[in-house]
Amino acid sequence: MSTYLALMLLLPLFGGSLSALCGRNLPRRLVEIWVCAAVWGSFVCAWLTAVAYRAPVKVALGSWLAAFDLKAPLSLYLDPLSLSLVLMITFVCGLIHVYAVFYMAGEADYARFFALLNLFVFAMLTLVLAENLPLLYLGWEGVGFCSYLLIGFWYTDQKNADAGRKAFITTRIGDTALVIALAWLFQLFGTFSITELNGMAFLVPGGVITAIGLLMLVGAMGKSAQIPLMVWLPDAMAGPTPVSAMIHAATMVTAGVYLLARMFPLIGGSATVTAAIAVTGCLTAFYGATCAVAQRDLKRVLAFSTISQIGYMMLGVGAGAITAATFHLLVHAFFKALLFLGAGCVITAMHHEQDIYKMGGLRRTLPVTFWCYLAGTACLAGLPFTGGFFSKDSILGAVWLKGGMLYGGLYLLALVTALLTAFYSFRMVYLVFFGGNGHVHQTAQLKPMQAVLIPLAVFGLLGGLLNLPDYLGGGLLDHFFAPLRQGKAAEASHLQEVALQAVAGVIALAGLWAAHLRYGGAARAERLMEAKRDSSPLLAFLFNAWYFDALYRTLFIRPYQAFAAVLWQKVDEGVIDDSLDRLSGAVGTTGSWLGRWTTGHVSLYIFSFAAGGALILGYLAWLAL
Amino acid sequence: MTVPLYHVLVLAAILFALGLACVIAWRANVIMMLIGIEIMLNAVMLTFVGGSAQWGIADGQLFSLMLMALTSAEVSLALAMVVYLHRRKQSVNTDDFNSMNG
Repeated sequence: MSTYLALMLLLPLFGGSLSALCGRNLPRRLVEIWVCAAVWGSFVCAWLTAVAYRAPVKVALGSWLAAFDLKAPLSLYLDPLSLSLVLMITFVCGLIHVYAVFYMAGEADYARFFALLNLFVFAMLTLVLAENLPLLYLGWEGVGFCSYLLIGFWYTDQKNADAGRKAFITTRIGDTALVIALAWLFQLFGTFSITELNGMAFLVPGGVITAIGLLMLVGAMGKSAQIPLMVWLPDAMAGPTPVSAMIHAATMVTAGVYLLARMFPLIGGSATVTAAIAVTGCLTAFYGATCAVAQRDLKRVLAFSTISQIGYMMLGVGAGAITAATFHLLVHAFFKALLFLGAGCVITAMHHEQDIYKMGGLRRTLPVTFWCYLAGTACLAGLPFTGGFFSKDSILGAVWLKGGMLYGGLYLLALVTALLTAFYSFRMVYLVFFGGNGHVHQTAQLKPMQAVLIPLAVFGLLGGLLNLPDYLGGGLLDHFFAPLRQGKAAEASHLQEVALQAVAGVIALAGLWAAHLRYGGAARAERLMEAKRDSSPLLAFLFNAWYFDALYRTLFIRPYQAFAAVLWQKVDEGVIDDSLDRLSGAVGTTGSWLGRWTTGHVSLYIFSFAAGGALILGYLAWLAL
Repeated sequence: MTVPLYHVLVLAAILFALGLACVIAWRANVIMMLIGIEIMLNAVMLTFVGGSAQWGIADGQLFSLMLMALTSAEVSLALAMVVYLHRRKQSVNTDDFNSMNG
């Protein structure tokens, strides 16, 4: 077991290091094969681990930090949550790596790219498998670091470099809160072990748990792009498309959800924290969906849909439905990777055009991409019997079962979001794939890139099998996650469950129908004409993501820049530099004035010397008398 | 008859002051300045010898012997430099050699 786990982590690390150190000097094909093999080897290890898995197990690989009470060994924790995640991560990342080989075929700087991709996988696996919080934090920062470098991969373009910095700085705000939470936990309990911490919540007053939970929520907000720290994710698509697929699907953004799910036994005891998580998630889901409705850039639509779907996962965690949240996380990883990779195919075929209003007709010219993309969209929209339908419904059901005013309201908002989701998903499909004008740019890389989509589509569509509702025979994940569950969660009767799913299904179909009415058939051309005119204020509001960027610019960036300008021009240049300049000027003047004493006449020197000696003698005489 | 140390010190002080006055005042001639320095050194030697006689310890006398050797070496070197300086500027006035000023 420990061999498999160690290999699972070491393969991507070694692959990334090798590619970084000597990738430039090795043949390109070798590096590509090597990095893909590292991730697939990691997947095989994950699979072998899953086969050998019997019960939650802690595996110590070595010691890392140890000073006084502080102990943070390199120990891993394998339980259903981490096992299901590593299987998904290695599988999806493996496919993305294969796709990236073809997508980046023309890229000169392949060694850096593949090294970072592999390190990204390594960091995420560390995060997921870590048994103690410092190790988790190592992975947490690792994914942040790799995402920063990959978002700004084409750093010669100022815009891309800015997007990378934006992602890094925004997530840093959340990380700070997380670090405070970690330090506080250590101060309270004297241990960093997650398994120990999760059993010790009852030792401290509820208020403290609430505070720690809220701090962790802020950390998760940054990483998982939740309101109010979600501004970085739409810009993060500046990176290459495979990177977007990795950030949005398998690594990075799911880390926040994972953290909350992992620490749920500790923080879930506080009703305030769970309510805060649920409200954050639900608002974010709604926010993302509304923004996605108005976007014109294909990848931006997908980025906002990710924000929205991660919001659903948070909502699930907030409702205490860890299984449902993880279920949605897994299915989402498949269909979001599928959508991003499909978008990559579309963009490649369209000569790097990303505006969906300028696309169209790809249904006939890119049939494989179309059908796979359609499958992904169906999952995203939650059309009945796709993977996304079951996973989203299990979250909605859990929220409904929580009952009460708050969760009832959240349920309604989540339903509205589901409607919007179905609408914008099919708006995207109608605009990109339907209509005339299907000229595409076929490249040699397109065929293998499309082949990668097929397994993802199959997994996305059949993802529901992972966790079927009880009336269809019960879920695999439900059984698997049973040891994680604490206490008795509210169980829905079969009738209730069917009713909830019927509601969700009808909502999704209504969204599809609305999208069809507005963007299907003849209406499509009308919309294209409309898009050329000035948009309405509401549309502009949604298009600019509720003007959050502008708000943050006025609230934080402008004052910060003004403050920095004052510090620079007034304090640094005005006070510090000026005072030093004056001082040096004064010293210089005094020096040149004193320098006139050195006339070159020896006699003057001797006289000065004698006068000095006389002064000293006089002083000594005065002392003696 | 022994001369008290006090008298020796007064004599040495006078001698030293005379040597110093010579060095400061007679700057027109570098040789006179050297002579002034010799006089000051003699004052120092006198102090050593006087102290040695007072406390009956030979160290001071030894030291003055060393000083004599030292001064003779110093004077020979200094006079050589005087010859050199005179060759350069046809002058022994120290004020003519003022190119090393600030």
